[in-house]
Amino acid sequence: MQSDQTLLRTVNLKKHFPIRKGLNPFSRAEQRYVRAVDGMSISIPPGKTLGVVGESGCGKTTLAKTILLLTPPTSGEIYFDGRRIDNGQTNRRELYRNMQMVFQDPESSLDPRMKVGDSIGEMVRELMALGEGEIRNLVSESLRAVGLSEEQSERLPKQLSGGQKQRVAIARAITPRPKLVILDEPTSALDASVQAQILALLVDLQKKLNLSYMLITHNVAVAKYLSDMIAVMYCGNMVEYGPTVAVIDKPRHPYTIALIKSAPIPDPWRRNLLQTEIKGEVPSAINPPPGCRFNPRCPYAENICLQENPPLNEIAPSHQAACHFVEKTANVTESTSP
Amino acid sequence: MEKLLAISDLTVQYVTNNETITAVDSVNLEIDRNQLLAVIGESGCGKSTLGLSIIGLLPPNSKASGEIEYKGKNLLTLKQKQMRNYRGTEVAMIFQEPLTSLNPVYRVGDQIASAIQLRRLRDDRRDKTEDEVMQKAYKRDAVTLSRIQKPGRKIPREDKIETVKWLDLVRIADPEQVMERYPFELSGGMAQRVMIAIALSQEPALLIADEPTTALDVTTQAQVLKLMRDLMKQVNTSILLISHDLAVASQVADRIVVMYAGEIAEDAEVHDLFSEPMHPYTKGLLACIPHGTKDDSRFDAIPGSIPDMRRLPKGCRFNPRCPYAFDHCRSTIPKLIRAKENHQVSCFLYAK
Repeated sequence: MQSDQTLLRTVNLKKHFPIRKGLNPFSRAEQRYVRAVDGMSISIPPGKTLGVVGESGCGKTTLAKTILLLTPPTSGEIYFDGRRIDNGQTNRRELYRNMQMVFQDPESSLDPRMKVGDSIGEMVRELMALGEGEIRNLVSESLRAVGLSEEQSERLPKQLSGGQKQRVAIARAITPRPKLVILDEPTSALDASVQAQILALLVDLQKKLNLSYMLITHNVAVAKYLSDMIAVMYCGNMVEYGPTVAVIDKPRHPYTIALIKSAPIPDPWRRNLLQTEIKGEVPSAINPPPGCRFNPRCPYAENICLQENPPLNEIAPSHQAACHFVEKTANVTESTSP
Repeated sequence: MEKLLAISDLTVQYVTNNETITAVDSVNLEIDRNQLLAVIGESGCGKSTLGLSIIGLLPPNSKASGEIEYKGKNLLTLKQKQMRNYRGTEVAMIFQEPLTSLNPVYRVGDQIASAIQLRRLRDDRRDKTEDEVMQKAYKRDAVTLSRIQKPGRKIPREDKIETVKWLDLVRIADPEQVMERYPFELSGGMAQRVMIAIALSQEPALLIADEPTTALDVTTQAQVLKLMRDLMKQVNTSILLISHDLAVASQVADRIVVMYAGEIAEDAEVHDLFSEPMHPYTKGLLACIPHGTKDDSRFDAIPGSIPDMRRLPKGCRFNPRCPYAFDHCRSTIPKLIRAKENHQVSCFLYAK
């Protein structure tokens, strides 16, 4: 067990949601499942960021919820800080003191009728045995850390802008001094100039508080900016995993290549978007295609891809890709990264 | 290039019980034929209001002044009935959420076929003078409604062929089968393709696309943008792309207009804008696009946030966030000036 170097580790984590069968109680129809997360093994070292990149429906948010024990995993193991946490004996209060989450839409993650300072205080009161004075100190310290003033803590969410609300959500997440913060699309609801401010803030906080992040995003440029490692998800599977620079600059899975080529780069002289070759859309996780789940859209697909779902293969030190034909993709990517 | 539409001094205000908000303030803009013009700005900068004013879909509590000149007419002074001859046919629009634009209880095929039938009726009318059309407008509308596609009625053969043709054109696989589906059975990308098919089947001179790919996945976004760019040539139309994403605009646009707080900050050909951004806001926006990693680059993020449209700062609206602001900026409002060929900017740094 390498629990010294990893803060969070999952082993072959799966989460399958059963589908309601309909009204007929005698239906013989086979029970079907949405395989939202289907065998994810990730690890996050202390003070580092893992970026989980994928498109809608690929299971990245379900992965986060499963890790936070908001929904029990179907199978697999989750280790946090050297201890297994998915066995039903975890003290949730203690866990959430060390593991926090920031959601995409700050609007819906704050109580509209509570002053934002109280929203943070309420959580601290719930998680930590502290006196009111200490709580107030902690709250104002966090608010200052995210660049909000004392006066703004007295406001209601509707009196704050989107960026300020996201700052409040981040302040709330860091108040119990957690080790890991899960960021679920933390900037995708924000304007460009505000997104930049929040990204800079997240980097600052990470350095100051030695935080680990698990960053969930569909935005390749954001993932590249914040992450040390990147895991690319497709249809519940991990298709590529490795150091950020390797995955973004030398992607090896055909899906990662397509994803990076589809990300718009701010450069009118390099119009990668208009050269995009990818076809089709993300398949449903209820009836994923047999074999490799990317095969209907893959330019390299052959017979074996229709039959066998490829395992993750090591292609470089700590860089893995789940493809039968990784050798074919070795030279396809010049620098197309954002 | 040939001019298609010219907006001059357009001001749009929203009037509520206790205040009047100026969402678009004295905007001057030209769109050329066969041009993809991108209007870029953050939320609340007036870019959607600009789009809605061109197609005549502003809400009733709004007041628009100025001129939108199209084919020798000022679209702002047209009556609702006259506007109907333009809206959807000469100027079409697609929106961010395709599923809220499609009728949920009509099959996709019926919706496209009805659009095609309406266009045919319009083509019939074209031979008549406008007065003739206007006189019989009411009667004609009743006839129109009885003749267009209803759910459950078989689509006439020639309309069906054309429907399939349009679905093919927007690269939907297996169009015959997709025609039979309801909108909820489509993915976001397919629904947006259907919207594009409906809009372009009218053969409009201008397609306004308001954040058409914001709700879509990255790979789907790339496909839809490429499709729009390809079809633009094929159908011979211009596109006004409204977006918050400068990177997307750099990939597809011919010209970019940057808006800030209801005004145009900069208006330039796309390569000029990127090789020589002039307005401090444009420079700031470019610096805000994440590039590199946290270890090798830092953001020079624009400080502060967009102003409250009810309490705009005095002088240049960007001055409280501008690193170059001087006294003049805090007292006087800059005008859009021509700094170079095909490059206009509204900033005192470039005043001669």
